[in-house]
Amino acid sequence: MSQHYPVLLVTVPLLSALLISIVGWLNKRFCFPIAVAALSVAAYSSVGLLFRVLDEKVILYHLGGWAPPWGIAYSVDHLSALVLVVVSVVALLNLIATQKSIEQEFSEKIGAFYTLYVLLVTGLLGIVVTGDVFNLYVLLEITALTSYGLIAMGEDRAPLASLNYVYMGTIGACLYLLGIGYLYISTGSLNMANISSILPGLYDSKVVLAAFIICMVGVCLKMAFFPLHAWLPNAYTYAPSAVSSLVAPLMTKVMIYVMIRLMLTVFTPEFIFSKLALSNTVVWLAVIAIFMGAVLALGARDMKKMLCYVIIAEVGYMVGGAWLGNRAGMTGAILHIANDALMTLCVFLAVGNIVYKVRGYAFEDLKGMFRKMPYTMTGLVAGALSMIGVPPTCGFFSKWYLISGGIQAGQYGFVAALVFSSLINAVLFFRIIEIGYYEPFRADHGHESSPVRMAEAPLTMVVPLLIVAGGLVVMGVYTGDIVTHIIEPIIPPAMGN
Amino acid sequence: MRIFGIIVVILTGALLIYAMGDFPSWADPASPAHNHVSPRYIEKSLEQTSVPNLVTAVLADYRGYDTMFETAVIFAAGVVCFFLLRIPRKDEPTVRRYRHTLTGITISVKETREIPPVLEEFERIDTLWTPPDLIIKTCCRILVPFLQLFGLYVIAHGHHSPGGGFQGGVILGASMILLAISHDLRTAIGRMSERVHAILCSVGVFIFAGTGALCLVLGLNFLDYGALARILHVDPVTARSHGILIVEIGVGLAVMTAMIWIYNNISSKGKYDEGL
Repeated sequence: MSQHYPVLLVTVPLLSALLISIVGWLNKRFCFPIAVAALSVAAYSSVGLLFRVLDEKVILYHLGGWAPPWGIAYSVDHLSALVLVVVSVVALLNLIATQKSIEQEFSEKIGAFYTLYVLLVTGLLGIVVTGDVFNLYVLLEITALTSYGLIAMGEDRAPLASLNYVYMGTIGACLYLLGIGYLYISTGSLNMANISSILPGLYDSKVVLAAFIICMVGVCLKMAFFPLHAWLPNAYTYAPSAVSSLVAPLMTKVMIYVMIRLMLTVFTPEFIFSKLALSNTVVWLAVIAIFMGAVLALGARDMKKMLCYVIIAEVGYMVGGAWLGNRAGMTGAILHIANDALMTLCVFLAVGNIVYKVRGYAFEDLKGMFRKMPYTMTGLVAGALSMIGVPPTCGFFSKWYLISGGIQAGQYGFVAALVFSSLINAVLFFRIIEIGYYEPFRADHGHESSPVRMAEAPLTMVVPLLIVAGGLVVMGVYTGDIVTHIIEPIIPPAMGN
Repeated sequence: MRIFGIIVVILTGALLIYAMGDFPSWADPASPAHNHVSPRYIEKSLEQTSVPNLVTAVLADYRGYDTMFETAVIFAAGVVCFFLLRIPRKDEPTVRRYRHTLTGITISVKETREIPPVLEEFERIDTLWTPPDLIIKTCCRILVPFLQLFGLYVIAHGHHSPGGGFQGGVILGASMILLAISHDLRTAIGRMSERVHAILCSVGVFIFAGTGALCLVLGLNFLDYGALARILHVDPVTARSHGILIVEIGVGLAVMTAMIWIYNNISSKGKYDEGL
């Protein structure tokens, strides 16, 4: 069965989503177990794939038995295997952790919710596993459509935020599709490996240049890279908490994966760094993104919006690192995909727990929170330390690679932006910790001296959060192994040392 | 802000026009798009899949996996419409109105009271009820069976002529929507209830994805219809043609019900009452 892992990890969730939709009309109790089983199979297959990739380098799977470029092929290498594990594990943990809050918010339509949730994860996994640029677009549509629906079910302002996201997301996807059309005009192929073998003869073609620019702008729109970020903060803030903690860690990260995939596999580093010499421009755009993300986060008035701006700054980290054009920068960017997904999940789960108990995520709602929800706050602090970049946590190591990449490339603006953003993150998170620890929780009857009773979120919400928080440290400790065994082999030798 | 928008549009347009300089000439037989992948489709598709319509062969077989997810996109659209718009039953108005079809007298029944035992002479109406037009009702009622027959023809004939599951599904869906427009939504729901079309929508995509999974269970790759030869008792090439027909039926079912599902939710604002 193991040769079918690449297709199983996409089609098992797809079939399960359909099954959940049917079962949702008959007996709602079975929806959650099916969803958990589907995502467990996906997680199991992606871990299995990662181990197989370590031996076999690249695993190809011909869908329908047609060899590429005539049929669609799945191709799994170290990079996609790593991101697959991240996506499936994050989605599974989040599903288990947010079960209670999902039931609280969507009691009537629970079948439809789980259907869309599993379909969204299917789309994300499909984007990562595919080796075909058009297949990627189709799965992009699935993730986009399901996330629009899930986000719009949030608070009062969520439908408007989601509509805004629909416009921007559609433009982004259309640009990507247009870029693929241009690639097809000049190469006649849709298979990534095939395109990259044809392209070297066409590096001077204006069509290829236009295809590259259009694709990249489309992908940047989807990942909320700074001047194109305007849809993200509202959409992710007003979404239901179970949805925020799914899309915030995964959507932007998967789009960064797409960007790196296009850079490394389709257009190849020779074209991007030697032929185009766009590196400087993009790194400076990333610097602006990091600065603006950090500054806007300082101005945010509630926790979720603050975290959304932090995500925008983090997108700047990864785009900048990938475009530095050296090994350390690319290593940092890829490592940060995994690390950032985990730490974003960690902080969003903590916020989700707080929303579940207090029904609010403004800074004032945090008063006395360390006494009230000590375990949740422990998780939040772990995520915060990782976002700031404090050593044993994984956030430190990816930032280390990014900074050393910046120094090697002589991009001191990028280095300064990283340091600046880390300091701002420290300010942001210590402000939260200060409110939660020192400001007393005022009970409704006004007795300031009344002792605050502990009112922690249910165990099913706290345990996954603490597992993720522990995972941040584990990832940090094993950074060396991850880099040498998984990330080093994917970076082409052309990118220097 | 408007100036900024115009500048972006002009820059994008300039980029697209700039790129046109290196386009292959119009209908150039030597262009890459005509020489790399397509010759194989044109020359080999009949002998490899025994489907005369090569568009169908590419869509449902060579790139069938994309088509499966396109069907899933339509399914997702149906679910999203339901998820966002459908109002739970408990929020419905507490007063129900019934119209006596013979005399035209309307009665109101509170939720707590019993509903009249014999409902054949009564139809449930809303406050915005308008008398239906007899001519429109009759014409549409006559049209619907022919539409449905044509829809089935389009699905089944995708192998030989333009058509297939998507087009046929839309025609089938349109026939039910026509019924809903010309009569009222309750009539259409009386023919096919919400639960039925919601479940059929999943079943349609399930037929497609399930066929793919069946091929995998029978020992070949996902969606490799050749594996179906063993259970259909035909040669692998004919099995591909049959496999395409099976998935086209699934697509037709999913598209038809998704259209109905989306229409019902949007036209009644999720209340599933009389509709437009």
